[in-house]
Amino acid sequence: EEEEEEQFYMKDLPKHACSYCGIHDPGCVVFCNTTKKWFCNGRGNTSGSHIINHLVRAKAKEVTLHKDGPLGETVLECYNCGCRNVFLLGFIPAKADSVVVLLCRQPCATLTNLKDMNWDPNQWQPLIQDRQFLSWLVKVPTDQDQMRARQVSAQQINKLEELWKDNPDATLEDLEKPGVDEEPQQVLLRYDDAYQYQNIFGPLVKLEADYDKKLKESQTQDNIVVKWDVGLNKKRIAYFNLPKANEEMKLMHGDELRLRYMGELHKPWSGVGHVIKIPDNHGDEVAIELKSNAGVPTECTHNFVVDFVWKSTSFDRMQAALKTFAVDETSVWGYIYHKLLGHEVEDVVIKCQLPKRFSAPNLPELNHSQVYAVKTVLQRPLSLIQGPPGTGKTVTSATIVYHLSKQNNGQVLVCAPSNIAVDQLTEKIHKTGLKVVRLCAKSREAIDSPVSFLALHNQIRSMESVPELQKLQQLKDETGELSSTDEKRYRSLKKQCEKELLQHADVICCTCVGAGDPRLAKMHFRSVLIDESTQATEPECMIPVILGCRQLILVGDHCQLGPVVMCKKAARAGLSQSLFERLVVLGIRPIRLQVQYRMHPALSAFPSNIFYEGSLQNGVSPADRTRKGLDIPWPQADKPMFFYTTSGQEEISSSGTSYLNRTEAANVEKIGTRFLRSNVKPEQIGIITPYEGQRAYIVQYMQYSGSLNKKLYQEIEVASVDAFQGREKDFIILSCVRSNEHQGIGFLNDPRRLNVALTRARYGIIIVGNPKVLSKQPLWNHLLTYYKEQKCLVEGPLNNLKESLIQFSKPRKLVN
Amino acid sequence: GDDVMESAGEEEDEDQVLHLKNTLKVVKCAEDDDFMAAFDKMMVDNIQARNNENLKVPQLDIALPMHITDRNKKTATYVTDVEEPVEDNAIKFVLMTRKGNKQQFTKLNVPISAEFAATYKERERAEMAE
Ligand SMILES: [Zn+2]
Ligand SMILES: [Zn+2]
Ligand SMILES: [Zn+2]
Repeated sequence: EEEEEEQFYMKDLPKHACSYCGIHDPGCVVFCNTTKKWFCNGRGNTSGSHIINHLVRAKAKEVTLHKDGPLGETVLECYNCGCRNVFLLGFIPAKADSVVVLLCRQPCATLTNLKDMNWDPNQWQPLIQDRQFLSWLVKVPTDQDQMRARQVSAQQINKLEELWKDNPDATLEDLEKPGVDEEPQQVLLRYDDAYQYQNIFGPLVKLEADYDKKLKESQTQDNIVVKWDVGLNKKRIAYFNLPKANEEMKLMHGDELRLRYMGELHKPWSGVGHVIKIPDNHGDEVAIELKSNAGVPTECTHNFVVDFVWKSTSFDRMQAALKTFAVDETSVWGYIYHKLLGHEVEDVVIKCQLPKRFSAPNLPELNHSQVYAVKTVLQRPLSLIQGPPGTGKTVTSATIVYHLSKQNNGQVLVCAPSNIAVDQLTEKIHKTGLKVVRLCAKSREAIDSPVSFLALHNQIRSMESVPELQKLQQLKDETGELSSTDEKRYRSLKKQCEKELLQHADVICCTCVGAGDPRLAKMHFRSVLIDESTQATEPECMIPVILGCRQLILVGDHCQLGPVVMCKKAARAGLSQSLFERLVVLGIRPIRLQVQYRMHPALSAFPSNIFYEGSLQNGVSPADRTRKGLDIPWPQADKPMFFYTTSGQEEISSSGTSYLNRTEAANVEKIGTRFLRSNVKPEQIGIITPYEGQRAYIVQYMQYSGSLNKKLYQEIEVASVDAFQGREKDFIILSCVRSNEHQGIGFLNDPRRLNVALTRARYGIIIVGNPKVLSKQPLWNHLLTYYKEQKCLVEGPLNNLKESLIQFSKPRKLVN
Repeated sequence: GDDVMESAGEEEDEDQVLHLKNTLKVVKCAEDDDFMAAFDKMMVDNIQARNNENLKVPQLDIALPMHITDRNKKTATYVTDVEEPVEDNAIKFVLMTRKGNKQQFTKLNVPISAEFAATYKERERAEMAE
């Protein structure tokens, strides 16, 4: 047998053999018109077929099919305009006949008169799907043939393509063995000392910073059309669309963008502003508020360029915290120091006067597991609290902060990685009657929130004890500018007032990165509570910790989403593991809150069993979470949930940077409309979808195809899983999008993301997706099996749902 | 329900192909990730460039030739005339291409998993029922 294999390799291959693997069935190969080489439509061990691998790497776009293949010698081109770019081509079927033609996606497939003709533009389908030519256009070699062919890795393909640039005749044999890529040092479980800790985390933070910088700087977009407006504060606002939005961009309120005018109707101009609106269900526009109104070319609307302004602040603060931790032994108390580094230390009990009543004023009464958490935390220098969805994490945290403050151990510092989480907690702490200051980044001062009145910059405005500051402030607001002496005076007065407010607060709330604000630099906080700490990287968590911490409480849930680390190298080296998680691995048992008050018990059963060892108890009854008069065909009357089988194709979105699935979008709209017709308020409905492309498509589709008032659809929030973390809706519709056989299900692969998606709904959840594809992933296979067992896996039209008998795929082993 | 999303090879005898399948799995590596990113970028750039081109293209007027719309299709001349067996889950389509000014017709088996093929079959069935 070996001999046979040998012969296969040795024999002279025909000209049309795949230049990577040697496969030469004429029906399976494609000629690259640019490089004059042949490639097959098999993937081997890579994520795209060989021909696509080649086209992408060689930046080639035109191909010809083999004369002996089923279609004969054919140059693939648009029937109408002759465009030969295969990345733009697709099939379009006749309306009534079994005829297809090739048309380019733009403009030919979108020409308006197409609708009136024999052709159906809505059915346009790209030639390349799942990074492979459609198998009915170019055959895919069988697994057997691919196995017998040369095995080529992605590394080898890369090197070969590089070689071809100098020597087009180079072959695989000319390749040397691939070298080993240099990887950064992995994070550890335990560290000798804080120097070693810094030496490992410092480079990872640097990697992430470099990656973030490169990413932001590569996001420049041109040909931007701007609409001008003026805000209530008289500042100029620019509205525009960023056509290349994608998952990676993660544009957020407060981010800085630079707008530049490139046209000829005005002299060159550029201005920087903060983002005050991002694409959402109200529209795809982005808005920035310019920092300065001077010279803004408001008469111009076209020819603008938008750059992302990269800021190193957050990374600088992490590096500074790591350094302080290493060199300043007063930065944290000895016990915490050793615990954080994973050393064995004798347990310490904090002597404290336990309160008679554990519930805090004006906050809900605590349940048993919450009381236990508060009581335990107060007596320990270091605690972890795990709060599964809906278990009252914020109330528990606020109650703890209340008691910490009453212990007279000085001011309490309260942080969370995200502004939303900080605001939610700030609101609750304020209710207890404590004096709270919310410290905001300067770039976010313009952004409104429910706790704006607690923000330092707003509290200063209402300080009546310093009339001189008020006067200067008023002058500045009216004229927009102060004389240089006045400005100096204004700044020093402001600084003084800020200091006073901060020093007299019981509690200071800010983001983890915000704790590195220079205004807090000289302050010390013995007690630090970090909420959502499982969403922060370790260095991020260290920023509040090194301000003199003696008692640290980390709240979070390591079974929900972890920190976002964009740089894969840094993530692989362990930067995406939170401090909370590492401490759990070190053996510190988190105190788990166990009663959930959010979900209908039928909705909490699966997450409880899969993610929390079945420990989640229901604090609400089915009756509490049943909406009467709902015209939704729940397959089981007592279970407000179903999985709606939809096998539409996924495709690359029109921006080219994300995915969408039209069939799923149509089903989502139908379900959404049913809810609205049943008098569910639109703001009580949430649509979760992991892809920006699908988000934008659903928003648009509901606007144009929904049968009810457009305004209603506008109020339905459509967003990513990540955007819904920490929040809830009465009803959730989840659109999975991915529907390809080979590249897995992307974002949905992370069990923690699935957990978050499944635990947002209070009254009901509907999942729209392709079971055949999703069931390949073991966890989704579980979920689908569960829905099937519950008789909640259905298909068919909404008003005639039938149990689906679809066979699941065998789950793949989890390979990492 | 109709199980139309079967992937290639899945119908084959599992035992026989098992070890082959295992070795044909995507091997995750930085180069492969880079390829996927480059693919997505190429898609964007091409679409964007196209959108910005403001092309003048001929008004669309693709007439369906009579002999194609004719159900019997006997009069048509095809480039390839090998009668390939049509599998159960595929529908015979005709791909219309152009060589210079001449139209060409090629038979094309489109699996029912392609949405437009499914839609076509649905419609055909409905018409039959009438
Ligand atoms: Zn090949
Ligand atoms: Zn065209
Ligand atoms: Zn130690």
